[in-house]
Amino acid sequence: MDTVSILRFEDVSLAAQPPYALDLAEVSLELNAGELGLVLTGPATEGLPLADLASGLVAPDTGLVRFQDEDWQDRHPDTATAARGNIGRIFEKRGWISNLDVDENITLAQRHHTTRPAAELEAEALALAKQFGFDDLPRVRPALLRTGELRRAAWIRALLGTPLLVLLEHPLRDLPAHAAAPLVAAVQSAAARGAAVLWIAESFQGLETFRPVFSKVWTLEGARLNAAKE
Amino acid sequence: MDSAARARYTHGVAEIAANMSIFGNIGTGWVDKGRTWRLYFAMLWSVARVAVQPRYWPRTTRDVFARQLLFTGVEAWKFIALIACMVGLAIVVQSQVWLTKLGQTAHLGPILVMVVVRELGPLLVNFIIIGRSGTAMAIEMGNMQISGEVRALDAQGLDPFTYLVLPRVAGAAVSIFCLTIIFIVVAFFSGYLFGVLTGAQTGHPMRFVNSIFGALQQADVLNVLVKTLVCGAMTGVICCAEGLSVTTASTEVPQAATRAVVRSTATLFIISALVSLVTYF
Repeated sequence: MDTVSILRFEDVSLAAQPPYALDLAEVSLELNAGELGLVLTGPATEGLPLADLASGLVAPDTGLVRFQDEDWQDRHPDTATAARGNIGRIFEKRGWISNLDVDENITLAQRHHTTRPAAELEAEALALAKQFGFDDLPRVRPALLRTGELRRAAWIRALLGTPLLVLLEHPLRDLPAHAAAPLVAAVQSAAARGAAVLWIAESFQGLETFRPVFSKVWTLEGARLNAAKE
Repeated sequence: MDSAARARYTHGVAEIAANMSIFGNIGTGWVDKGRTWRLYFAMLWSVARVAVQPRYWPRTTRDVFARQLLFTGVEAWKFIALIACMVGLAIVVQSQVWLTKLGQTAHLGPILVMVVVRELGPLLVNFIIIGRSGTAMAIEMGNMQISGEVRALDAQGLDPFTYLVLPRVAGAAVSIFCLTIIFIVVAFFSGYLFGVLTGAQTGHPMRFVNSIFGALQQADVLNVLVKTLVCGAMTGVICCAEGLSVTTASTEVPQAATRAVVRSTATLFIISALVSLVTYF
């Protein structure tokens, strides 16, 4: 089977400016369809621009970031925006629209980018919600949900539809160590459907039993990403 | 060159440099202002350009547009109607009373159209909406920017311009147009009613209606359209732009809201004056 490149960093460097706190230097990585990659950042690291670079939200100082074999910088703003509709993401922090309920937030991108009926979207979101331990979709404002629940709701949002790339920034933060299993299972299903998954975590904590799932592992050392398994 | 001449020369150069600095600062200020207004007009043009293309109106954008109509238009109509009643009482009744006394009742229609339709209606409605919805828009945008919501939208492929700015600008323009029509109708109706109640010689209702419709010209329709749609859109653009200009601290939000109100109001008066000049002279 041909490998389809979903995400490729080519010697990417970025000097951190707010809102980012960590530099990146000469980062090269590649994720193909169906692959799960893990980036271990080490403890107490925040403001890593990796996911924003992967989404084309920020341009690297040097190097290229390609999504589906096309450099983000070469895309017309309209096509770049549409391409981001194929990316499911859990944000490191925040990432919720405060004047929409959580369930509306969850289906927002799908309602924007697709013409799928609302009932169908809700049914899929509800199935994911049940998989992640909810009885129903949270129908309250994000501010009214506990941090851990909000994090699990972000799982639903990231995996709803058929994303080509799933970016998970610390998806287990604020959750007990044993919470990973349903997410790993859902992420594997997404990968089986052809998605590439980039999981960013501080360490293997909570993922010890799932090491074999990740085909590629990188560790952040200073500003560089070193391949621990490739 | 002796030392005194050298000192005079040095002083002169320093003075010129200082003056240049003052002119430089003034120039920089004007250049910045120019850039800001260029941004507003570029945004207005972009809104006009994308608003007519259905692909920029996915259901999420239509939802925001509907919410904006609800907030700016539907929820404001009672207050607008109240103000229109007051205007009806003050202007329509006064006009009726004094024109009747002077035996100039034939001029009632033209005078009311000139005051209420051409100037007061669009101006007051715009003014109320700037205070009521414009500030809310700027504050909402500013808070969304500070809390990373704009970035989150962008990351999910929802262009903040088409999801946030376009429906708000279009919603403000349409709401202000509809509210102005309500304002004019209520002002005339209440004015006539108060005239009857206070015993003014109001005449037959149909004569009153005919005198108004008889005085309306095509220019008045154009005038109302421009003063409501363009001014409303400019209010939306300025309030969104100022809100989105907030970058780092929540203390910037009230400052952005103040700037938005001041600039929207200034724009309203300038556009209104220009439209009146162009339309009627």
